[in-house]
Formats: sequence, C-alpha cells, structure tokens
Amino acid sequence: MKNLYIFIAVLFIPWSFSLAKYDEFEDGDDIMEYDDNDFAEFEDVNEDAVTESPQRVITTEDDEEEATVELEGQDENQEDFDDTDTQEGDTESEPYDDEEFEGYEEKPDASHSKNKDPITIVNVPAHLQNSWESYYMEILMVTGLLAYIMNYIIGKNKNNRLAHAWFNTHRELLESNFALVGDDGTNKEATSTGKLNQENEHIYNLWCSGRVCCEGMLIQLKFLKRQDLLNVLARMMRPASDQVQIKVTMNDEDMDTYVFAVGTRKALVRLQKEMQDLSEFCSDKPKSGAKYGLPDSLAILSEMGEVTEGMMDAKMIHFLTHYADKIESVQFSDQFSGPKLMQEEGQLTKLPETKKTLLFTFNVPGSGNTSPKDMESLLPLMSMVIYCIDKAKKFRLNREGKQKADKNRARVEENFLKLTHVQRQEAAQSRREEKKRAEKERIMNEEDPEKQRRLEEAALRREQKKLEKKQMKMKQIKVKAM
Amino acid sequence: LPGPRPAARYKPPATETNPALEDPTPDYMNLLGMVFSMCGLMLKLKWCAWIAVYCSFISFANSRSSEDTKQMMSSFMLSISAVVMSYLQNPQPMSPPW
Repeated sequence: MKNLYIFIAVLFIPWSFSLAKYDEFEDGDDIMEYDDNDFAEFEDVNEDAVTESPQRVITTEDDEEEATVELEGQDENQEDFDDTDTQEGDTESEPYDDEEFEGYEEKPDASHSKNKDPITIVNVPAHLQNSWESYYMEILMVTGLLAYIMNYIIGKNKNNRLAHAWFNTHRELLESNFALVGDDGTNKEATSTGKLNQENEHIYNLWCSGRVCCEGMLIQLKFLKRQDLLNVLARMMRPASDQVQIKVTMNDEDMDTYVFAVGTRKALVRLQKEMQDLSEFCSDKPKSGAKYGLPDSLAILSEMGEVTEGMMDAKMIHFLTHYADKIESVQFSDQFSGPKLMQEEGQLTKLPETKKTLLFTFNVPGSGNTSPKDMESLLPLMSMVIYCIDKAKKFRLNREGKQKADKNRARVEENFLKLTHVQRQEAAQSRREEKKRAEKERIMNEEDPEKQRRLEEAALRREQKKLEKKQMKMKQIKVKAM
Repeated sequence: LPGPRPAARYKPPATETNPALEDPTPDYMNLLGMVFSMCGLMLKLKWCAWIAVYCSFISFANSRSSEDTKQMMSSFMLSISAVVMSYLQNPQPMSPPW
C-alpha cells in the first residue's frame, strides 16, 4: 500500500513539472543519468548551458495533453526527448521521429513564443497602480476649479477697486449737490452713509437725495461679471463695457409732460421695443440728430418736435457731442413705468404706475479693460446729469404742445381700457355665473325639503328683481334717446 | 444746491419687485447643479458629479447678496458629496470621453 502511494506521488511530480518551460534538453547524457529520481534529467538541463547547440523549447499547454516542441531546422537528427511520454512518467528518450513533427513550422526564433503563451498578463486596474498620472482628468478638474476661484478673487477685487475709484472721483460733486449721499434704507434716520451699497460682486448702488427738483437719484454701477470665469471667457468672444446707470426721480410739479430720448441708434431701437412709455408715445423710428449738430452715432426719439427743439440747447449739444462715445442712452419721461411687463391676457386690468423720471446710461471707456483712472473721465457726465435735472424743471411746453401731450395721454389710456374692457367684462360675467352655481349647489345640498323650497323661492325672487331693474334701465335709455 | 425739503429714503430698485428683470443665472445654475449631483450619485457617473461642483461654484459667483447662503451651501455640499461618493464606489480614475 505504501509503495502504491509513493508510485502515485512519483507520477504526479513530473507531470506537474511538464507544465513548466525549459530552455534546452540534452539527450546525450540522459540515459546515463536517469535515476529513479525524475528530477535528475531536468537538473542536467538547467546546468548544461550550451549556447551553440540549437535550443529547443518545450512548452506545454494546460488544455493539451501533448507537448509541442519547436526545433531548429538544422538539427533534426538530434535525439529529442519525447514529451508525450512524460505524463505517464516514462522518461525514455526516443529517437527523433520526423513524421511526428510534420506540419510544425520551423521558427528561427529561439526565444519564448508568445503566440501560444498560456500566461496572459492581466491589466492591473489603474487605481491600484501607484501612479498619479492615471488620474490626470481629476487633476485637470481640480486645476480648473482652482483657476475659477483665483479668477473670482481677482475679479471681485477689481470691481471693488473700480467702484471705489468712481465714488472717490464723484464724491465731491455729489456732496455739493445732494444733502443725502449714500443710504441703504436700514437706518431709522436719513443720514448719509457716504458709502456705496454693494448689491452683488458686480453691482454697486448709491442713493442720493435732498435736492430741489428731484425726489432722489439712484446710481447703479453695473460692472462686468469679472468674478465669473465663464463670463470672462464669453466676453473674449463678445466685448462689453461696464455701465453706469443713473435714474433721477422727479417730483410731480417739477417736470412737464413729455417723453424724449437720445442715444446710440442701437440702444434706442432696443429701448423703443422694451420700454412701455417709449413704445406708446414715440411711435416714429429714431431720427438722426445731425440737424442739431450731433454726431452720426447718436439718434433721437421724441414725442413731438417741440420737445426736441426745447431739449437741444447749446449746452446739451455740447455735452452730447463731446461725450458721445460714453453715452448709451438718455431718456426723459413723465410716463416712465419701466420695461413692458409680460403679463397674461387675463391679468392686465390696470395701467402700470408711472413716475416722472430721467434715465441715463453711460458706458465706461475701455470696453472691459478699464482701470480706476478711467473713472475720472465720467465726471463731466455727472455734471451733465445735474444740468439735465435743472433743465427738466425749467422746460415747459407751450399751449399747443401741452394740448398735444394731453391728447396723447388720453389716447393711450383709452386704448388700454378698450383692450381690457373685453377682459373685464368676461371677468365680471364669470364671477356672476360662479355665484349662481354656488347658490344652486347650496339648494341642492339642502336635505330638508322645507328649507329647499324656501331657498328656491328666495332665489326666484332675486332673479325677478334683477329682471325688473334691467327693464327699468332699458326704459330710461329709450326715454333719453327720444 | 441742497433743497429745503426732507430727503427721500432709499428704496430698493425695481428688480426686486419684478422678478422678470432679475438675472436668472444663479437660480438656473443652482438647479442644474442639483440635477447633475443626483445624476452623478444615482448613475455613478463621475463627470456628472464634477460638473455639479462647477455649477455650484458658478451659481455662487453670480449670486445676489440678498440670496440665501443656506441654499448655496446645500447645493455645494451636495455636489461635493456626489464627487466623493462616486470615487468611493469606484476608485478608478475618470476616463476621457474620446
């Protein structure tokens, strides 16, 4: 029994060895050195490194039972170790049999063949490799985020510097003209804060008040979004400017009734479409201001010719001509209510509230690449604003002009009422119907038959009364007509 | 010359009463960021999570000062968690789409 086990073990070992590769095997010494120990022959193979003799590669595959052998073309006569017998433990070397190896290609390549290589190199997953290079997409992403943050800080600071440069330049002029400069609405008393309100990283507000003629003046510094990298990249395609928007709210008694605008043609076309008052009162296309000596870039939108004549005095023309490149639009309007509100059909029941306003939009020079010094060039424009305030107070329409203006306003109101009349009627009608329906439901739901009868009678009586009223009205109208 | 009448107080500009005039960018970016975060978390897509982080940054940069910081922070945290979860579930690096 013991011997049997030993025999099986002995069988098993060379079989497992036959799975490995060998560089060479000499047959010459085999017979002599064969022992019971099957390792002997293989030991010889490893020790005898004969470089000149042709090398034979003995490979086996897991699937196949027979070993394949590659041979050098030259030494066909050399005895070869027959591998087909190794699995059975037979270590006899047989003479090389040509016929056995027919069909095998003779390869000069002496190195390991990779075509029938049973060992496949497994791809190590990238995250197990100790290399940062495989994470290059992540590194890119993080770098992008860092760039965004850097741009945010730089852009924010630049906008801040520009805003304060503007304020420092204009502070003196404003303080000499307004009692209240800077207010954020939070203090109980109206005291000047003397500071800009920061609404955003790119919008700064300043409220000035306490002057004759005007209720107040709101200055908005609308800078470019330098803090947003996306915006910065978009501006590389399409250059834009920082803007200063000034909105002066006039007291009712300090301004007459007219609508007038002057500015770049592009801006006026856009405003005419967007602004409620300009679209309603200035129906003509923007006209060239060349008649008054304005440069070609500027155009005029006006309610009536008299207003244009009155507005275009020498000083105004001087301002407009000298600073034409910085002026985007100037709008004087007594019917100012902001842009057209996009409302649903059914909701428009009341005209929007209007306020007498002067609006100025200026472009900061530099087209985006502004420096704090450029803010000084805007100071004359502020003087122009002050001048316009005084002018608006002084300018009064003559009798004809006033009549025309009143007619225009009446016309607009009538149009509006007509538009909404149908809607208002429908609204009233639907309300009445709903009331009736609600009543009927109440009557139906009444369980008590007595109560039901009484409610029905009450409803009938009410309807009769209404009919009588209508008939009375018709009679009255007929009488009046007669 | 400063006038004798009392000065009028500051009133916030019309944009606050008319929401149509406000810049919609921060709100859109906030929403987009949340959508991408959820995609990244549910579908285990790393690039979705990274875009969500970018969206929340852009939303923050464009936000108004009156905007709720809690909303910003929650969107930001959600996007960061989406990125972290994607990498915990699948530590392999992101492969480019090409």
